[in-house]
Amino acid sequence: MEVGVGYAPAHHGELLQGMFYDSGGQLRRALVTLPQPSRGTRAVFHPSYSHGGILGPPELTKVRRAAMLALRRFTTHPAPAKGGLVEIVSDVPRGIGMGSSTSDVTATIRAVADFHGIELTRGEVAQLAVMAECASDSIMIDDRVVLFGHRDGVVLETFGYRLPPMFVISCDTEPAARVDTLRLQPADYDDAEVASFGVLRAALRRAVALSDTALLGRVATASARINERYLPKPHLDLLLEACLRHGGCGIQVAHSGTVAGLIFDAQLPEAEKRVRRCAAELRASASSTGIAILGLIGVSAALTGPAVLEGAALTTLDNMEVLTG
Amino acid sequence: MSLQTAFSEATETYQIPRLIRLAPNLYAACFTLMKMIPARFILRRAEEQGVLGPDTVIVETTSGTFGLALAMQGVHMNRRVVLVSDPVIDERLYRRLVDLGAVVDRVPAAAGAVPGGYQAARLARLAEVKAEHESTFCPEQYSNPDNPRSYAMVAELLLECLGQVDCVVGPVGSGGSMCGTVGNLRTVLPECRAIGVDTHHSVLFGHADGHRELRGLGMSLMPANLDHRIFDQVHWCSASAAYAATRQLHQQHALFMGPSGGAAYLAARWWAAANPSALTVVMLPDEGYRYQDTVYDDGWLRNAGHLDSSLPAEPVQVQDPSRPEGSWTAFDWGRRSYAEVMAGRLDVAQAAR
Repeated sequence: MEVGVGYAPAHHGELLQGMFYDSGGQLRRALVTLPQPSRGTRAVFHPSYSHGGILGPPELTKVRRAAMLALRRFTTHPAPAKGGLVEIVSDVPRGIGMGSSTSDVTATIRAVADFHGIELTRGEVAQLAVMAECASDSIMIDDRVVLFGHRDGVVLETFGYRLPPMFVISCDTEPAARVDTLRLQPADYDDAEVASFGVLRAALRRAVALSDTALLGRVATASARINERYLPKPHLDLLLEACLRHGGCGIQVAHSGTVAGLIFDAQLPEAEKRVRRCAAELRASASSTGIAILGLIGVSAALTGPAVLEGAALTTLDNMEVLTG
Repeated sequence: MSLQTAFSEATETYQIPRLIRLAPNLYAACFTLMKMIPARFILRRAEEQGVLGPDTVIVETTSGTFGLALAMQGVHMNRRVVLVSDPVIDERLYRRLVDLGAVVDRVPAAAGAVPGGYQAARLARLAEVKAEHESTFCPEQYSNPDNPRSYAMVAELLLECLGQVDCVVGPVGSGGSMCGTVGNLRTVLPECRAIGVDTHHSVLFGHADGHRELRGLGMSLMPANLDHRIFDQVHWCSASAAYAATRQLHQQHALFMGPSGGAAYLAARWWAAANPSALTVVMLPDEGYRYQDTVYDDGWLRNAGHLDSSLPAEPVQVQDPSRPEGSWTAFDWGRRSYAEVMAGRLDVAQAAR
């Protein structure tokens, strides 16, 4: 029997998260995701033409809901499935803020669509994902950098098409802890914080447009600090201090998890050396801090212009890579 | 990424500053009417929150540009505006306010002679006006936290256009523009410096209250919206120095601005020249039209004794912020509270003995 297959990547928390005005002057909760494409979820949809229910991993109710919602979209298809079975294979750690749930849900929606031979737009996938899990990150919008209304499934702003070139040291600040996103209360931002988010949004607009990793690092750090009030990260100051001391730009966190990332400008001289020294230092103090180093994420911009090509650090970077260990 | 769009109302355009490069490391934020930012923000927010109903009368005590901004926004929002002012309100401003439909309630000239002066008389009259109407809303620019908050939009503009801003220089009155702009900028740029520009005999940074010739900055009463801990440095500028700098701004940069902006330009030009690797932004709150018969008239300047003195090249650094001396002084405020600075002043005085 034919099956449908879908894949979706993970992410590494957010570069910015808060409340922002949309073009109609409405305040919306929104975020900017930092993708982590070396991890992800593969979903396989086995259709059933007789049975209306969805079978899937019992602990993943969102996956079953996503499959159901996606199926409803295709009822006008010449040969729609009535129900089916969803298989999930994922290497995204759960409960630490790397988007395991959105990854599952998005892969599932894509698998159901794939079975019906239909290519949904990124916006359609986003809408279905939000319907399935109430709040979703924006990993399905993988062709640009967006401010994403994660409870409405709408894009508030497109900043550009690529993030600035950077290395991110991936840490789990509390390896023993797991955050249940279903139980997480939405942050209750005050007026001053909403004003700050507008300022951070403007700065991020510039950072993406000009590939300014230093400014992006400042934005991510400020967002992490504002959100400390809602889900504090142990040792945030220690991580930030280490990052800056080794020439890094700032820190980003998962606003619904325990991961944090130390951001380094990949265009800096000896960027990779700085990153490795910083990571080694954090690993050496891991027994006292309890922080686990998960790996290294590389994000690179298009290699254009002689100035960039001369940068030694970039020559070792592919588009995306993860160096673990 | 987005199309340019038309403005939905006139007041929206009045609040947007133009950023203009004056030197490689000095930019001016030029406003048509800077007070439109808090006026529009406060009124629209009050309407959203249901504090400003359809029949609510907007009341405020003001003789300046904040009243003009309220009257303009009142037109868009179809609300009555009552402004309690000094008897000495500028005649052209008065006519403009009346044309906008505002009621301008001038306290009698005799009020200036009694203790508390116009300020007390205006507050008393404001209370009467409030009692006369069933529903009133007073924006209270000196204490309403929405005043500084409204300036987040300036911080957004500076960050998007310039990215790195190392120092912001601007005149201080209510405290809203400087505290709001720099406070919000520091979300991203915590090291950004703030230089407040005041004038002699203003109470804002330690002088005793007295007659102030230079208008548009300085105060007789301490406004709650002034957070002293924002400021790294404070300058006091005389009317003569401010007028001369205002004219130079016009002559050298073709920028036709008001004298509070001129005072800020004086301090900003000096700081930017002394710190060539730092990017400085100076706030210029209004345009020159209101001052055509004064600051921009050599005859008037001569008669008022403002053409004799030459503009100093740099400020006199003072150790005591309470002494109103010289035409241009500067003091390292050091992001301290008012109380901390005044306590430090006593220490300095004791050490001198």
